[in-house]
Amino acid sequence: MAHSGINVLFEGRNLIRLFGGLWTTVEIAAVALVLGLILGVVLGVLRTFPSRLLRFVLRLYLEFFRIIPTVVLLFLFYYILPKQMGVNLPANQVATLVFALWTAAEMSDIVRGALISVPKHQRESGMAIGLSRWQLYRYVLIPQAVSLELPATINLVTRVIKTTSLLMLISVMDVINVGQQVVEANNQKYPTGVFWVYGIIFVMYFVIDYPLSWWAKRMDKKRLERANG
Amino acid sequence: MKKFGFKKLGLFLGIAASLALVLSGCGSSSKSSSSASSTKSTSQSTVQQIKKRGTIRIAVFGDLPPYGWVNKQGQRVGYDLTLARQIAKDLKVKPKFVQVNANNRVDALNSNKVDLVLANFTVTPERKQVVDFASPYMKVSVGVVSPKSQPITKASQLQGKNLIVTKGTTAENYFTSKQPNVKLLKFDSKTQQFNALKNNRGVALADDNSYLYAWVKDQPKYTVGIKSIGPKQYIAPAVKKGNKSLLNWTNKEVTSLNNKGFFDKDYNSQLKPYFGKEVKPSDIVIK
Amino acid sequence: MAKEIVKVEHLEKFYQKRHVLHDINFSVNEGEVVALLGPSGSGKSTLIRCLNGLEPYQQGEVTFNGEKIVPTEKNWQKIRQKIGMVFQSYDLFPNLTVLDNILLGPVKVQHQSKEAATASAEKLLDQVGLREYENAYPRQLSGGQKQRIAIVRALALNPELMLFDEVTASLDPEMVRGVLNIISNLAQDSNMTMIVVTHEMNFAQQIADRVLFLEDGKILEQTKGSQFFEQPQTDRAKAFLDSMDF
Repeated sequence: MAHSGINVLFEGRNLIRLFGGLWTTVEIAAVALVLGLILGVVLGVLRTFPSRLLRFVLRLYLEFFRIIPTVVLLFLFYYILPKQMGVNLPANQVATLVFALWTAAEMSDIVRGALISVPKHQRESGMAIGLSRWQLYRYVLIPQAVSLELPATINLVTRVIKTTSLLMLISVMDVINVGQQVVEANNQKYPTGVFWVYGIIFVMYFVIDYPLSWWAKRMDKKRLERANG
Repeated sequence: MKKFGFKKLGLFLGIAASLALVLSGCGSSSKSSSSASSTKSTSQSTVQQIKKRGTIRIAVFGDLPPYGWVNKQGQRVGYDLTLARQIAKDLKVKPKFVQVNANNRVDALNSNKVDLVLANFTVTPERKQVVDFASPYMKVSVGVVSPKSQPITKASQLQGKNLIVTKGTTAENYFTSKQPNVKLLKFDSKTQQFNALKNNRGVALADDNSYLYAWVKDQPKYTVGIKSIGPKQYIAPAVKKGNKSLLNWTNKEVTSLNNKGFFDKDYNSQLKPYFGKEVKPSDIVIK
Repeated sequence: MAKEIVKVEHLEKFYQKRHVLHDINFSVNEGEVVALLGPSGSGKSTLIRCLNGLEPYQQGEVTFNGEKIVPTEKNWQKIRQKIGMVFQSYDLFPNLTVLDNILLGPVKVQHQSKEAATASAEKLLDQVGLREYENAYPRQLSGGQKQRIAIVRALALNPELMLFDEVTASLDPEMVRGVLNIISNLAQDSNMTMIVVTHEMNFAQQIADRVLFLEDGKILEQTKGSQFFEQPQTDRAKAFLDSMDF
């Protein structure tokens, strides 16, 4: 057994397959994030409106997606809803849908929090120059909320990317699932291959997530400097 | 104010609906991955419907060599996979593989994600309640592996000792219900359980005997001291409960393949390289 | 007879159970400067905010330019373009430059062309001596400068009425004079109609044509400016003026 575990990565198409899995992960995460963040901003804005019914419904939506673990949501949308309702989406679409709805729920709370922390006087000053509600959000409230919320949004993005590792549970061939295949196929020949396979997956996630969280930290620091300066 | 809110609620519902549309829209235009099937939903998959569709969706393992796994070229191979491709060929349709794990084989059938499960699926009375099994194509029983220096050859030698098993396996099930005096040390994966044996955490390890034969082939210090314990277990294709059409077709297919000697060939190409000489085709293949 | 810009009749306001404005009646004519005076919590700010719909009221009528206002959000939004308001907290929009703060109303609400609006904004900035700051962001300005910009922002809409709600209350003392001068000039040179809530009694005495004295949500007296400070008609007003020590 003189095989060094690292060679498992260079056998056949193993490395290419891992990158293929990563691409699936990134594709799902990216589409889900774009849709989820846009929907989240809209929902967050609606949640600052005075209608109680609307706020209640959206609050319910948020709590549903926040309380129920993502694994359960994936199972629910992939296995249970089709059985009950006859909607049968393929795994990658279910994954995108669940992650988009989850992102939207969390984002709506971030946006709402940022909007209500914009001082009341800003809202009144905007109203006093005759801005409509839409213009008030467009030119005054949302731009100010965005700079408040950006670090939290980036953190949400990194969380969503990390959580895509659950996708293998609904048969999505993401990077973790491919990694599992490689590990189990080479267990006999490369008993230490598991460290190298998960090691490279760690590096892949790190390369994607670390710059984001670094950016979030920097933004937050800048914002504090500006607020205190 | 209230009225305004309702109007916005409508807007929200509209957005949610269009989101759903966008999702299903981009999904169908994008290439379908090897695992996810983008076939239209049908509540039943009769043989006729499968033929009309041109594809049969089969649940397989992706990480259990030599039954269902992915080789370094990225191809799905294994004993189950060879059978799966033969079935698709005889139906004159293309196979579409959906990778499952042990826990979601039943759900994949019931939620109509797949037509057929060929994933080392052991027939048990509990599972018979929720899916329909066709004629079995493989048999296994529990074996016990131990170091050659201190071999375990009888169940009596295990009384009061630590026996290593993986959670959810037939071996765990058998020892829990039939040999309550054996202390079980349970692990989550095959890799973990074999490491535990090497570290002498238990006197022996129990698992499907075929799997143990494969393992000892590379481990000269260990031996399968108990080749078979407890009742034989059968591995069979499964279809959604009530899918008579596909069930009958699969039964006939298994019989016909048996007559043609297909399973011996499958054994020789997929399993023999793993199991070595200690195992004979007749230990695994059903005659 | 001078044109009536604002008329308030039998206005009543409650915060839940609390009755904060009682049967308010007054009117303001074109070119007139009315000061709203009274102790803290007397309802001055609440009243002035009712006049452009920032606070809802439960009963009564507000008439603007001879038209009774049906108090819906849409109607108020239209009327607010004609009523400029400046607040105690100098709330420029921190995400926009000085010039963009000023242009937001004329361009987005009144749909003036950007060129025309910029030209008049720059003229106004010249008048308050802040032209050089047009591309600065609010955080680069002092409180007094921000408040002067806030006045310009309100004026840029060519309002027919200006509401000033304690605009100098949170300024450092050395900044107060500059802001008050701008308001005085506006009254004298431009003949702007305005309602001013203030604690600066000297300033009120100097510019007010008429004083409304409020206490506990009621108008206790309406007197000509010159007369109010010399000979207030009620004991409450007298006590108030004595306490103000100016």
